[in-house]
Amino acid sequence: MRRKLAFIALAALTALATAGVAAAANGGFTPVSPNSPNASHTTTAYYVVLAFTAAIFVIVEGLLVVFVVKYRQRNRPRTAEGSQVHGHTRLELIWTVVPVIILCVIGIVVFVELPHIASAPAASNPLRITVEGHQFYWQFDYPNGARTIDELYVPAGRVVDLRVVSADVIHSWWIPALGGKIQALPGITNHTWFKARDEGTFTGQCAELCGLYHAAMAARVVVTDERGYEAAVAKAPANLGSTEFHGVCATCHGMTGAGGYGPNLSNNPLLTQTAGLLSIVQHGRGRMPAVGSTWTKAQLQALAAYVKSHVYKGAASGG
Amino acid sequence: MAVDVVETYPAPTWKSGRIASWFVTVDHKRIGILYILTALGFFVLGGILAMLMRAQLATPGESILTKNSYDEVMTMHGTTMIFLVIVPIMAGFGNYLVPLMIGARDMAFPRLNALSYWLYLVGGIVLWSSWFATGGTAKAGWWSYPTLSEVQFSPGHGQDYWILSLHILTLSSLAGAINFVVTIVNMRARGMTWMRMPLFVWALLTYGILLLLALPTLSAAVTMLLLDRRGYTHFFIPSQGGNVVLYQHMFWFFGHPEVYIMVLPAFGMISEILPVFSRKPIFGYKAVAFSTVGIAFFSMLVWAHHMFTVGLGTGLDSFFMISSMVIAVPTGIKIFNWLATTWRGNLILDTPMLFALGFLALFTMGGLSGIFLAAFPVDWQVNDSYYIVAHFHYVAFGGIAFALFGGLHYWWPKMFGRLLDERLGKLSFWTMFVGFNLTFLPQHMLGLLGMPRRIYTYHHGGLWEVYNLLSSVGSGILALGVLVFVVNVWRTHVLRMGVRASNDPWLADTLEWYTTSPPPPGNFDTVPYVTSARPLRDLRVRLAEET
Repeated sequence: MRRKLAFIALAALTALATAGVAAAANGGFTPVSPNSPNASHTTTAYYVVLAFTAAIFVIVEGLLVVFVVKYRQRNRPRTAEGSQVHGHTRLELIWTVVPVIILCVIGIVVFVELPHIASAPAASNPLRITVEGHQFYWQFDYPNGARTIDELYVPAGRVVDLRVVSADVIHSWWIPALGGKIQALPGITNHTWFKARDEGTFTGQCAELCGLYHAAMAARVVVTDERGYEAAVAKAPANLGSTEFHGVCATCHGMTGAGGYGPNLSNNPLLTQTAGLLSIVQHGRGRMPAVGSTWTKAQLQALAAYVKSHVYKGAASGG
Repeated sequence: MAVDVVETYPAPTWKSGRIASWFVTVDHKRIGILYILTALGFFVLGGILAMLMRAQLATPGESILTKNSYDEVMTMHGTTMIFLVIVPIMAGFGNYLVPLMIGARDMAFPRLNALSYWLYLVGGIVLWSSWFATGGTAKAGWWSYPTLSEVQFSPGHGQDYWILSLHILTLSSLAGAINFVVTIVNMRARGMTWMRMPLFVWALLTYGILLLLALPTLSAAVTMLLLDRRGYTHFFIPSQGGNVVLYQHMFWFFGHPEVYIMVLPAFGMISEILPVFSRKPIFGYKAVAFSTVGIAFFSMLVWAHHMFTVGLGTGLDSFFMISSMVIAVPTGIKIFNWLATTWRGNLILDTPMLFALGFLALFTMGGLSGIFLAAFPVDWQVNDSYYIVAHFHYVAFGGIAFALFGGLHYWWPKMFGRLLDERLGKLSFWTMFVGFNLTFLPQHMLGLLGMPRRIYTYHHGGLWEVYNLLSSVGSGILALGVLVFVVNVWRTHVLRMGVRASNDPWLADTLEWYTTSPPPPGNFDTVPYVTSARPLRDLRVRLAEET
């Protein structure tokens, strides 16, 4: 009895704690609040499935508790048998047919929502962007040839068509507020889309194990008005060296190049030898992946210039 | 006669030594016990890896495990629990119980049976020796997708050890599967028609057939991966014309039946325990038996629901959504029949029954969260997040492991001759039940909040931190529950405080309780003619009528 009370108390505490934190936000009981039509329709489908499964959950678990309480042994001997029923054909039919009907309803809802989730609304000028997954960063190519790392700039209210590819291993593109995942597969081109409703910054991270720094492979989608977007893309080439260093190199070599998983760079004279540096960036060496295998010449030069002027602190004194 | 001459050779005396006899045994009961104890050993090892991961994720930016060893620990945890714990422990229970339940003296091929066990042990040792391989263990997760698992991105030999280990384990399981199918088809007691066969035996028959159908594809996939890595092929290397999605198809063509290979024997255990402790026959024997076969059939047609985010296109996605929903129907039939089995029973809430009822509560949750995953647009949102981790642990731990602990407590007296302590058993159940829910319930929420699986750290505070901490605390409680079980075993056998078991301490229904606990070599002197699915109850009724 005391054990049962302790269990009930513990369960109540857990429920309270969960409810408490849940009240603080949507609590994680539903997907992240959507900011794009595909994400909204996914959430709608989620609620429909939730309604049915929650009902079944309550019925099954409820019956289980009722039966356990009502038919428990009490002071009957172990030899006392329960009612010797072997089955009931009509009941079997009911609990076969009713779930089939429920699943059909769920299926129909999914197919009704599907077009709004899978395909972008017809737009006169969708913004076409290529998302390329790399160990361990995201690279974005804009229509005007600009390129950014880890940060994607888009205008609010415009359909963004994403062409998702990978340069090395399988990654998975996922910004929860802007819709579901799509794998970035080497050798295969995938497509997804979103249309951000509100301005703001939306984060997500790679969802398919892609190696050592999988956990560091984060992406931010910065949604602004059309003017802000134009400005960000115009500024992108000038910032490229810095974003490359911080998005690509710093993951392993530290934010100041002081080392971490990768060696200390800030006093490595290789940083001043452009050809050697760029060869390593393009082809990798030892434990270092070929992070820059798909980089353009301008992009490589931008990195070389940035590390020379901002990261290199001179050769280490005294060896 | 020539046959008699062979039998008159005396066995060398060393073969009957206390320890040596275990190495040379071909007795299905001893092999079963070897399987079960080895799998429990690996369960403890895999559990320690899980505790390490939960410790690493308890708070943001933790550094208990470096990212390198986190990937090793995560890969080894998954591979160990699936290939070295659940699949072989089911083979262990099957080995021990199937001949006894069908009234046979042993398995059809006793030597092949011994080979299966020893191959399993070798496979396990190969996998765990990869901690000492150049570059450490495999790090690409239990499904090891290329190109990450290709030599360019996974240098070192850990991945090769992983492949070798899977090859050995596959051979072990194939030999075992053939043995089960042949034994069940050919060696049932007189009168034991298909419809009088214990439901656990039905489950093991389907387990065997599914293994035979699914495992060759896994062997092929990992062989191709090995050739890519160490030969000169490029099946999965896109820059040379290979295709990474091919591996995913091959892996999951094995991988989804594998889920049912693991869960069907657990279902079988529940179908044995619930009626005995409800003092009733199973409700809808035929429905439960045929739904097992139905699940097995459809389990071969649902593999790509693991691949909805690959971008297969609406046509394929829709097909696999519908097939995945179809498989929910026979699963639901089972749950409703189990529930109806308890209806108007005399529910004896001993430890095996508690675990069986716990299974029913938790597996229902795992099944229902699966419906979200079958609806593929919803899956695009929750796939590869902690929601998935929560879902499959509700199936694999809440479902399968709870059934296993129920089975361990139920058949323990038959196997080892002593009853486990009821008080400690109940304590272990409640600790595990609370710990399990605290560990895995918050992980659903983490997934919906956007936490991907297989990350070694995170930097979000707030709800991410709260749920992760709750989950880590829960994993500690869960481990305590397992520890109570170990203490119970210790108390029963090492301190010899366990009560000696009679032939049939639970007043059960099936033939394994007809013989002594533990049974002698050869199992039975005679086996009664079987006239129903509950031969032991028939005997009890007849005895009562005679006196």
